[in-house]
Amino acid sequence: MRIRERLASIAAVEGVVVALVFVAMIIFFSLSSPYFLGSQNLRNLFVESTFTVLLAAGTSYVLIVGGIDLSIGSVLGVSAGLTLLTMQKTNSLPLAIAVGLASGAAIGLLNGGLIAGMGINPFIVTLATLSIFSGGLNVLTTRAQLTGTPSKSFASLAQGSVFGLPSPVLITAIVVILLELVLVLTPFGRRIYAAGINERAAHMAGVNLRRLRPQVYILSGAIAGLAGILLASKLNSVQPGLGSGYELTAIAAAVIGGVGLAGGQGSVWRSVIGALFLATLSQGMQLLSISSTWFTVVTGISIVAAIAFSRMTQRLAAAVRPAPLPPAPTQPEPSPSDDRTPAAAG
Amino acid sequence: MWEIMSSRSTDAALLVDDQDTGPQGSVVLQARGAGKRYPGVIALDDVSISMRRGEIHALLGENGAGKSTLIGILSGITEPDSGEIVIDGTSTKFSNAAQSQSVGITTIHQEQTLAPDLTVLENIFLGRELRRGSLLGRFLLDERAMRKRVEHLVEEFGLTADDLRRPAGTLGALKQHAAQILKALAFDARVVILDEPTSGLADHERMSLFENMRRLRDRGVAILWVTHRLDELFGLADVITVLRDGHHVATVDPATQTPDSLVRLMVGRRRSAVAESSAEARGNRWSGPEEEILRLESVSRAPLVRDVNLVVKRGEVLGIAGIAGAGRTELARIILGADRADKGQISVNGKQVRIRNPRDAYKLGIAIVPEERKTQAVLGDFSLAKNISISDLSRVTRGRMIIDRSAERKLANVYVRDLEVKTSGIQQKIRNLSGGNQQKIVIARCLFTRPALMIFDEPTQGIDVAAKNEVYRLIYEFVDAGGGAIVISSELPELLRVSDRIVVMREGRVAGEVPAGPDQSEDERSDRAEEIMALAVRSSS
Repeated sequence: MRIRERLASIAAVEGVVVALVFVAMIIFFSLSSPYFLGSQNLRNLFVESTFTVLLAAGTSYVLIVGGIDLSIGSVLGVSAGLTLLTMQKTNSLPLAIAVGLASGAAIGLLNGGLIAGMGINPFIVTLATLSIFSGGLNVLTTRAQLTGTPSKSFASLAQGSVFGLPSPVLITAIVVILLELVLVLTPFGRRIYAAGINERAAHMAGVNLRRLRPQVYILSGAIAGLAGILLASKLNSVQPGLGSGYELTAIAAAVIGGVGLAGGQGSVWRSVIGALFLATLSQGMQLLSISSTWFTVVTGISIVAAIAFSRMTQRLAAAVRPAPLPPAPTQPEPSPSDDRTPAAAG
Repeated sequence: MWEIMSSRSTDAALLVDDQDTGPQGSVVLQARGAGKRYPGVIALDDVSISMRRGEIHALLGENGAGKSTLIGILSGITEPDSGEIVIDGTSTKFSNAAQSQSVGITTIHQEQTLAPDLTVLENIFLGRELRRGSLLGRFLLDERAMRKRVEHLVEEFGLTADDLRRPAGTLGALKQHAAQILKALAFDARVVILDEPTSGLADHERMSLFENMRRLRDRGVAILWVTHRLDELFGLADVITVLRDGHHVATVDPATQTPDSLVRLMVGRRRSAVAESSAEARGNRWSGPEEEILRLESVSRAPLVRDVNLVVKRGEVLGIAGIAGAGRTELARIILGADRADKGQISVNGKQVRIRNPRDAYKLGIAIVPEERKTQAVLGDFSLAKNISISDLSRVTRGRMIIDRSAERKLANVYVRDLEVKTSGIQQKIRNLSGGNQQKIVIARCLFTRPALMIFDEPTQGIDVAAKNEVYRLIYEFVDAGGGAIVISSELPELLRVSDRIVVMREGRVAGEVPAGPDQSEDERSDRAEEIMALAVRSSS
């Protein structure tokens, strides 16, 4: 019984289960393949995962506020295309980055405006913008030859290193940490949770949803834009269909990490763990020479397993929790009420 | 199918402690020694209750007394830790709601549980639809048969045949209740549990509901009735069981009781004195300048608010009376900026303002305690501290960027202490508190914004007597310190007691104004009450 209680109390800590599975997976892969923990492989692993990690981090914001953003894959593609185009035309790195971020933010604003302003369901709005902008990228790639820029500095964005760390990994780490801190520490983050927990109550309590929701979608779009810039720099070429499917991977990562779709619950770091989990899985399977076609199958199984496991631990925790309590420690005291003094409330 | 109890003897009600099966009111359902413990709290401790055929059994108790837990156990939602349920003499266990339903127990909850988009008929038979007999027909619903099954009941319970075809969401609260009753009767209900059925109903609607309860009783159904309104009990309840702090206090015959004696049973001797004295306690009224805080001039929003003029001054409580649909809540939403006025002017502190959303309202010093606490006020997964600070995070923010959690905790603790919220700590999630304590947290949230004007929309809905008095005390303290309050309530006695003057709304307009206040005598109050009812229901010319 004691062991069960222990287990339950450990499992009840948010995100512990996924983290443990993640560690177990790393141990498994490193035992299966001597190359897995090699520095080159780890480097690849982290660089490959940055795009999913970024999108998943943005997705946590959207999911916590109680929405969904399906457009981020196409945002990534469009912003990658526009960044590369700007680079080719102007050869100005700051301008290219600005265009990449701005295009993402602009699509986010469009999403948020339609959702908050016109009250259209976010699934429908972002499904529509997903379609619009993945089509937009196709048009763009037929009009312009989006391959190669002469700029070394642009390439170093995703291919360089700072203090031995691949620069995209560094950029991603900084952005993710900032996002987590903003969510946990700022009034903006607090309001996002409030809106996700109970939209009507948050509204009545003075949370300005007409402003908050667009802000979240703008943020999500801008982060997808950043991922697009990094991807464009890494590939140095943008093809039609770039980024498609990323939105579902990001949502899968968030769900595996334990962010709920109902809103009001989750965090950035949980989504990041989910994204790293998926990236590690993919990398490990490659090393074990398992065909990449199996990857989506395993992703799906992971989603189901993650949900089933969290339900199980919740139930276990709920079943065990009452037992170890001493008999009613916080029961209302019998009669402290004689000294009820009228208190000043203002 | 129904045995009509023509000669109900009240003796059955008097033999309340007798657990034997009597000839008239045989025991249909019993809970014996039911107990339930939650982390840190004993919700129910060794409680027994017997329900007899054709009996209206009232269940009283403050919030947190264990009524909901007991109902949960009887309706199969909550699994008891100890004790047993006895049906017709055999001990059973419910592990889900369906099992409770299958033995004839129907629970009608405080919050309406009809699917708003389905028709009334579909709702009645939801999950238990009648199908056609033939082989293929088994996939088809037999609407005719379903209709026939409830046809004879429809009119009796105040619905029309036409209502059966309408979506349940388009009906008023009373008709929704009637639909729930039909839902029970269509399937041999033997026990109907009514959880605060009259909250949200206007006076004349309550009367119809009581009629419906009598009809159910005459059909031999046992009714377990939870209510907070003691005045309703007399003449209707046959037996009253009182719970306090999870314990069974007494099962009594209402004929031997008065509202005061019931309050004493509910709150215990220790607190009844406080409860009664605080009722009239309004000592130091605001003595500063009686400046205008809010002024509305011909404010309209079609179709529910039309051409409303009113003024709220410092130090006063303005009551707003009216029957359901008179536009009271809609008016509150306009003042708060949740909805926008089509025309008219709003001035705050003498300055004309535009309130585009609640955020604007809070910045102007207007705060609201909304109706329907669960859906419109409580952020269930947030701690008490987070629920309190959400409307004015700038008070706990350092450098306009970072929330200072320790400052937040300290401030929240001050409010929790001042408002005497019963809790194990401000880190507790609000959804684990009782209704009255949740309401105090919502009031704390408003006070936290240091408002000039507070709007209380049905502030005592679904909370117990003691908590009600504390809410009144908080309203008084707020206005006596120079604030202004608007109180919207469907309970006239409450409005008459708590307000300084009462504006009566009818069909979106201000129909008239009536003075009120705690200084009025009983006679004056009943005159005023009649005056208000007359204004509220008189048909428009």
